[in-house]
Amino acid sequence: MVNINNKGDYMLLKLIKTSALISLTASVLSANAFNVQAEKDRKALIDYTTKKFSDPVKNQSAFFPYSTKDELKKMRKNIPAEDFKDGTYAFDMIGKVSRDDQMEMPPFEDNVDNGEELYNKYFTNCLKAPVNNYPLFDEKAGKVVTLSGALMSCVKDAGLDTLTNKKGKKVWNYKGGKLANVEAYLAYQAQEDGKKVDIKINSASAAAAYERGKKEYYSQRGYLKLSCATCHVQGAGQRVRLQYMSPLLGHVTHFPVYRVGKGKLFTLEGRLGGCNRDEGENYKLHKPGSTWANDILYFMSYMSNGMDIALDVRR
Amino acid sequence: MLEDKDKTMKKLYTLAVSSTIVIALSGCASGLSTPSKAKSVMDIDTKTACSIEKNGLENVLALAKKYNPIAVKHKVEFMRFGVSTTKYIKGVDTALKTNSKTVSVIGKKKKVQKFDINYATERACRFAISALKQEKEAQSTWRLAVPGDGFKY
Repeated sequence: MVNINNKGDYMLLKLIKTSALISLTASVLSANAFNVQAEKDRKALIDYTTKKFSDPVKNQSAFFPYSTKDELKKMRKNIPAEDFKDGTYAFDMIGKVSRDDQMEMPPFEDNVDNGEELYNKYFTNCLKAPVNNYPLFDEKAGKVVTLSGALMSCVKDAGLDTLTNKKGKKVWNYKGGKLANVEAYLAYQAQEDGKKVDIKINSASAAAAYERGKKEYYSQRGYLKLSCATCHVQGAGQRVRLQYMSPLLGHVTHFPVYRVGKGKLFTLEGRLGGCNRDEGENYKLHKPGSTWANDILYFMSYMSNGMDIALDVRR
Repeated sequence: MLEDKDKTMKKLYTLAVSSTIVIALSGCASGLSTPSKAKSVMDIDTKTACSIEKNGLENVLALAKKYNPIAVKHKVEFMRFGVSTTKYIKGVDTALKTNSKTVSVIGKKKKVQKFDINYATERACRFAISALKQEKEAQSTWRLAVPGDGFKY
C-alpha cells in the first residue's frame, strides 16, 4: 500500500483522481453527444406532427390546403405523440374502424406462425442485438445493419439464399415472403413483450450514417420531384385518392406491414423501394440492403424512438 | 543619343517578346482550361437544349447519351411507368436503326409502351439533364423541408 506522507504526494494523487474522473465524464458525455442532433430532429418532428393534428379543421390553411372541412372534421384531434405508432389510424377514424375489425382476426396470423417455425429452424442464434435495436450501426463493419439485413446474412450462412420458387424467383428476399414472415414473428414477440423502438447512435460514424439518411429522406428526387418528406412529413394526413399519407413519426413501428389490398406482408425495404418508384426514380439502382436504403431506414427508425412496436394491417 | 535609342529599342523588343509569350501562354492555358470552363449542367436550358426542332434529333439524343450515364452513376436516373431514361435511349437507337418513327419499350408490368421517336428523344434528353440538375439543387434545398431546421410552419 502506498504511504502518503507528504502534502505533495497527496495533492498529486488527488490530481490524478480528478483527471481520471474528468476524462471518464467527458468520454460518457461525448458518447451521448453523438445523438444530440438526432434527438433535436426527433423532438422537432414530434412538435410539428402533434401541432399539425392538434386541430385539423383549424389548421386547414396551414397544413391541409387540399382537404375539405367535412373531411377534416372526421379526423381525430389532439393526438398524443405515442399514438402515431398506429400510422394513419392515429387520425383516420373511419379507417380505424375497419382496421379494428380486421385485427379481431389478424390476416397475418399464418405468417406469424410460419415465421416462428422458420425462426426456430434457422435463426435462433442469428441476431446479435434485441429486435427493437434494429437498424443498428455495426462499428466493426462501419455500416448500418437492418433487421432484414441481419436475417439475410444468416440466410446466406445457412445456404438458403439460392433457393428459388416455381417462377424462378428467390424464396428469401428483402422485400417480403419468408423473410417478412420471420420479421412478423419477431415483431409480434416484441409487441407481446411491450418493447419500444430503441435505436442507438453511439459514434461519429453512426451519426454520419444518420445524417446521410436524413439528407436523402428530405432530398427531392425522380421526375416528379418528390422527397420522402413531401408525402410523409409535409403531406402526412393529406389524401391521395382514397388513401391518407402516413406520418414519418411512428412509421417504422408497424413493419412488416400486412397490406390488405395485396394480401401479403411487406418489409420496410420493400416499402421503401415502392416509395422510390413512386417518386419517379429508377428504384432498381437502389438495391434493398444498400448503404443508401439502410441509412434512410436508420434515420426513419430513430424518428420513432421510444414508440411501441405494433404489428398491423394497412389497406 | 544613340545609346538612348538602343535602350528604348531593347525595351520595346523585350516588351514585344514578353507580350508574345504572355499571349501565347494565355492562349494555351485557355485551351487547356476548356473542359473546366465547359458549360455546367446547371447552365443548360433544358427546354432549348432538348428541342428537336432547334437542334435536330441526333444532337438531342447525343445530349441524352452524354448526361444519362452520369445520372445512372449518381443513382438519380429518372423512370416513368417502368421506363428509365436508359430504356428511352436504347429504344430510340433501335428505332433509328430500323428507320422506324415509333419507339417501343417494355415498361411497367412488362407491357410494351410505344412513343413517337421525337417525343421519346426529347424526354430522354430532358430526363437526363433534369436528374442531374435536381441532384445539384437538392444539395442546398433539402434542409428547407426539415422541421426544426429550414422548414417553417
